[in-house]
Amino acid sequence: MTRRRFWQVFMMLCGFIIWAVQFTLIYGATSTTCALEVAETRLLGIGIVPAVIAAVTLAAFLCTAGVLTYALREHRRLQSGNAGVTDIFLSQAAILISAFSIAAIVWQGLPALILPACA
Amino acid sequence: MLAACSGVQSALNPAGGDSQHLYRLTVVMTVGGTLIFIGVTVLLLYAIYAPPERRAWLGTRRTIIYGGLAFPITTLSLLLPYGLIVMRDTDAPSPDALQIEVVGEQYWWRVRYPAEGGRPDFATANEVVLPVGRPVSFTLTAADVIHSFWIPNLGGKVDMIPGRANRLSFTAERTGVYRGVCAEFCGDQHARMAFDVIVLDPAEFDAWRAAQASGAQAPETPFLERGRTLFRTGGCGNCHAVRGTEADGQFGPDLTHVGSRRTIGAGQFPNNVGTLAGWIANTQHIKPGVRMPSYGMLSGEDLRAVAGYLESLK
Repeated sequence: MTRRRFWQVFMMLCGFIIWAVQFTLIYGATSTTCALEVAETRLLGIGIVPAVIAAVTLAAFLCTAGVLTYALREHRRLQSGNAGVTDIFLSQAAILISAFSIAAIVWQGLPALILPACA
Repeated sequence: MLAACSGVQSALNPAGGDSQHLYRLTVVMTVGGTLIFIGVTVLLLYAIYAPPERRAWLGTRRTIIYGGLAFPITTLSLLLPYGLIVMRDTDAPSPDALQIEVVGEQYWWRVRYPAEGGRPDFATANEVVLPVGRPVSFTLTAADVIHSFWIPNLGGKVDMIPGRANRLSFTAERTGVYRGVCAEFCGDQHARMAFDVIVLDPAEFDAWRAAQASGAQAPETPFLERGRTLFRTGGCGNCHAVRGTEADGQFGPDLTHVGSRRTIGAGQFPNNVGTLAGWIANTQHIKPGVRMPSYGMLSGEDLRAVAGYLESLK
């Protein structure tokens, strides 16, 4: 696999990777703080669990939005040139996966933000 | 058919805030799901039967993006927070809630009201009495197999698991009589494991609580006294408690105020001398598999005396 192809595949999978990292971080943080009975701790009036979840979800959202923007630009660039079928497919897959990942990241962050951490 | 939805055992007739939330969620999901199903079915039929030039728009990229991606993502993105908010706002514990402990057993309900503010604790069975407008917190467990506690008019269902205490909180907002059921198959008589839920005004509830905490009243007639003697000599007190007497069994339901209950047999029959006598004589015929044996050996008069005594325990 050439370096360019590796990069294309990586960008295609970026949405899934960010989604998985967000899942691991927010549910890991929630489970750990619940197990240690520190989930109700507040810093500057904000609960540490909602703060961590909001920060991780926002970061994941922005990263995936960046990937989506890049994938859209790349797709336009490829369409205007002489790109091969595989290149076009990979760029389309990157658009679709990053778009779905944005929805999944938001859906995944909502329960952790709305529901009590250790109920 | 719709008349059946307004009864004492119906999630479509909510009598509390939690059940109202769940009812609205059910309506939104059912109506929304039905409309989407109809819409998709119409489009499917259109795609099959419409002339090719008229149905061509169904296969365009725009239709797929808006109808196949944007619409479901938007719908789910609206439903998810709505469902989560309903989940957050239901079954929310309250610090001043009335505490009630319920144990599911094959095939009846052991109910205990712990002491509260100088008022003593007491046990009852197959009947839950609640004050209107006050949050209630149930601690739910099971003694033998998995049961499930469900009062459709008042809240969601919660499993009762041996060795584990689950919790359920809600507030009844309308006085009346409702019916709870076991919602998890627990054995042959699962379908006959129900209980009455009576929601009273606070003053009536306090009076009921005070009466339930007191001991059993003494028989007022020789006939009832004979019933009590038969109850004692027949060994009923080995399994049943009648507070204020020597009967202190814990295996079966507490009978201290059994005469005040609306039903017997875990919500199966109206409570009166006739049904009590029939129950005592034929438990295994009426509800095969219950732990209480049939006392068919009692003479008719003895049976009436025992049933009369139990019915007098108001």
